[in-house]
Amino acid sequence: MGGNPTPEDPYYLQARIERRLAEDPDSAELGVRVAIHAGEVYLTGDVPSDERRRHVVAAALAAAGGRRVHDDLAVTCAEPPTTAEDLR
Amino acid sequence: MIRVAAVGDVHLGGDACGHLRPALEELPQVADVLLLAGDLTRHGTVDEAECVAAEFRDLGVPVIAVLGNHDYHSDQQEKITELLTDAGLSVLEGESTVVTVGAERLAVAGVKGFGLGFAGRSCSDFGEPESKAFAGHGKQVAARLARALDGLAGEADRVVALSHYSPVADTLLGEPPEIYAFLGNYLLAEAIDAADVDLAVHGHAHAGTEKGVTAGGTRVRNVAQPVLRRAYAVYDL
Repeated sequence: MGGNPTPEDPYYLQARIERRLAEDPDSAELGVRVAIHAGEVYLTGDVPSDERRRHVVAAALAAAGGRRVHDDLAVTCAEPPTTAEDLR
Repeated sequence: MIRVAAVGDVHLGGDACGHLRPALEELPQVADVLLLAGDLTRHGTVDEAECVAAEFRDLGVPVIAVLGNHDYHSDQQEKITELLTDAGLSVLEGESTVVTVGAERLAVAGVKGFGLGFAGRSCSDFGEPESKAFAGHGKQVAARLARALDGLAGEADRVVALSHYSPVADTLLGEPPEIYAFLGNYLLAEAIDAADVDLAVHGHAHAGTEKGVTAGGTRVRNVAQPVLRRAYAVYDL
């Protein structure tokens, strides 16, 4: 027999937050990575705007069971490119 | 030379509306056409599509798009296509279009695409109805791309294959390998390699890598905006 994981096991916590980020209409975010370190939640990845960032953090907090959520997200750069790639 | 600008996964809506427009104002100086590789909206709503239309209309260059999985989320994909078309965009799904740039002609074949996976780790059209539906759709969309590409090289100087899902695993590097089957489909690459395609452009894999190549040697570029980390990329063909 294996161990006896609980719903608060980091493995299930990570999966629960990932599902919440994707399925919560306010976040609808499939591209954010969730990691659990020392019982705390870390969010990384790029989102299109500040509002979206706030929604993602709120959705993660709602699923994090009171754990601290670290916002290591970035808002995607919308600057034009400085060079083109030559594929001729 | 034809200068092809491309971006995907812009996920417009809410306060992201207008986010790209400043960078797009100078587009005619650096590109001859703009390709949009799907996931233009966040939830696939008509309100978000109106934001997309405002962002990409009247740019001074042709804009050619495919939709992505997010654009299907609210079952409004037909209305979104109509709305974007009314704004002057070409929205392709198993179709192609040709644009003239100076004395040259660029053909673009577009399809949303779907998952299925890659050699050694792909799903089969077998078993439960749900499994068959998943794999079957992956096969259908690749067949649609093959039909759209058929004979296209004879009509243009350059051919681009545009999809949301990836035709190769190369450009997924950075994503968890376990979800590759949901990110791309080797049958898309097989269709591309069966035609004379100069460049394949896709999005969908936010944590992936920009540059890849098909088994047959066609260049592939993942233009998901989080991968590019800029408003769009430009490729000289």
